[in-house]
Amino acid sequence: MKRAAVILALVALAGAPPRAARAQAPAELLGRGLRAYQDVDYDSAAAVLRAALAQPGPPALSAADRVRALAYLGATELFRERRDSAAAAFGRLLLVDPRYRPDELVFPPEVSNLFQEVRLTTRAVAVTAPPLSEIRAAGDRLIVWLYATSNHRIEVAVLRANGVLLRNLYSGATGDSLQVLWDGRTATGMPAESGLYVLRVDSRGSGGRVVRSVGLPLDLAQSRGDTVPLPPPPAEALMRPEHAPGGSGVRALATGLAAAAVVVVLPSLVSGGSGGMGERFAVAGALGVAGVVGFQVRRRPQQIPANIAANQALRLSWQRQADAIRAENAARRQEVRLVVRAGAPRAVDTP
Amino acid sequence: MSARSAALVALCALAARPLAAQAVRYAGGDAGVSRVRLKSAVPGGGETLSGVAAQGQARLILGRVSLEVSYAQGRLSADTGAGGSRDLVDGSVFVALRPAPWLAVKGGPHLRAYVAPSGTERWVMWESRVRAEGPIIAGTLFAHVEGRLALSSSVNVPPGASGARGGEAGLTLRGPQSPLWARLAYVVDQAKLAGNARTETVEAVVLSIGFGGR
Repeated sequence: MKRAAVILALVALAGAPPRAARAQAPAELLGRGLRAYQDVDYDSAAAVLRAALAQPGPPALSAADRVRALAYLGATELFRERRDSAAAAFGRLLLVDPRYRPDELVFPPEVSNLFQEVRLTTRAVAVTAPPLSEIRAAGDRLIVWLYATSNHRIEVAVLRANGVLLRNLYSGATGDSLQVLWDGRTATGMPAESGLYVLRVDSRGSGGRVVRSVGLPLDLAQSRGDTVPLPPPPAEALMRPEHAPGGSGVRALATGLAAAAVVVVLPSLVSGGSGGMGERFAVAGALGVAGVVGFQVRRRPQQIPANIAANQALRLSWQRQADAIRAENAARRQEVRLVVRAGAPRAVDTP
Repeated sequence: MSARSAALVALCALAARPLAAQAVRYAGGDAGVSRVRLKSAVPGGGETLSGVAAQGQARLILGRVSLEVSYAQGRLSADTGAGGSRDLVDGSVFVALRPAPWLAVKGGPHLRAYVAPSGTERWVMWESRVRAEGPIIAGTLFAHVEGRLALSSSVNVPPGASGARGGEAGLTLRGPQSPLWARLAYVVDQAKLAGNARTETVEAVVLSIGFGGR
């Protein structure tokens, strides 16, 4: 009777049923499989669950439904006394979700025991990271959580898109979970350039051979801190004139020469022409020379000290502002901001 | 009222209001040396003496009013004539008003003495002086001229004084933003005895260094 039922099921899958299966969504197949499992129709359940898992996407099963389908498939196969198939289903499940544990209220102990056996012999790691991380300050890191099926040795490294090693992050044993941090820098401490990278986790078997690798795509964008523009120098319109146009100088010359003439004629005016000491001509000469010097000096543009001081204060104020902004910009140029976008992890190498 | 008293009263009246309204702003002074020549002429002859005198001035400036005290002393030796050497002592106290920054009007007593072994000749003159000062280079170099007239004069030599007048011209150099200044000036004044019995002309070239107000 069982054989007939299986044949019927196979016929249903191989003949008209394929068209029906293609017509049905994977989620519907999953529902049918679970109902068959509940009805203890394990053969039908196995066939339908395999069909649901085999559906190419889209629309394929979601990761959660896929885990559910594999858990029920493993239990189904165990009840069909196909222990190897059950173990294979659980193994596939653990690769999808290494953190999965069977619900003991749903599955009997023999299912949990087999799952546990499979888990302890399966070496796989699930990788999760926030979709967007920013590394601004020295203490900022990209935080990656690793969840392992069992204790085993792993190696975590960041590779360039072409597979060249950028930096090793971890090498050692892992337990249930492990947090790995990356500061966005290369092995030499320099900030990584913008581009695509892969955070790769290699799980090693008992012989040291890599049995599974998971890659987490990282899209890294590097940006420098924005600089502040320098203030414009004081506009010419704000500057006061520093020189006044030179005068004629005639007044200075006249003053000097007139005073010199007074010195020369003073004895005549005072004493009625009685001589006069010769030394007075030195005074008259000094006054005459002073008048000529004053004539020359006054013809030159005259400085306006108050305006010069005001302009200097204006320039000094601008210079101070510019120096402060230059220092601020120099500090900002030293700051490197990294934005890391993490993609969906995928097994990059399954031996 | 004599001319001397009238001048003094007028000067005091002019100075009273500004003095009351002004506080002491600053003081100044200078000291220097002067080359002095005294020419004493009498009808038909005379003598000339020359020498070096030390001199000093002090000023107290109260806004537009200032008080000036001066003193000079030196020894004059005979260049011509039969007279011997004599000492020159000269002092004055003036009150000055500045109706304009470039103009000063002064008044006060001016005393001069010639001290010789044969006796001392003392002159007392109440003088009025008008001084004008103008810049050649603003703030640095100034020229000045001054006219002097004795409103009254007396001397202890017969037949007595008949008057005196004089003048001064020179230049002052002041350092930029400095309280120090230097002055080079030529001064001449002449005093007469009554009846032109004798005229005494004193000339001096003065070089002095000052501090503070001028």
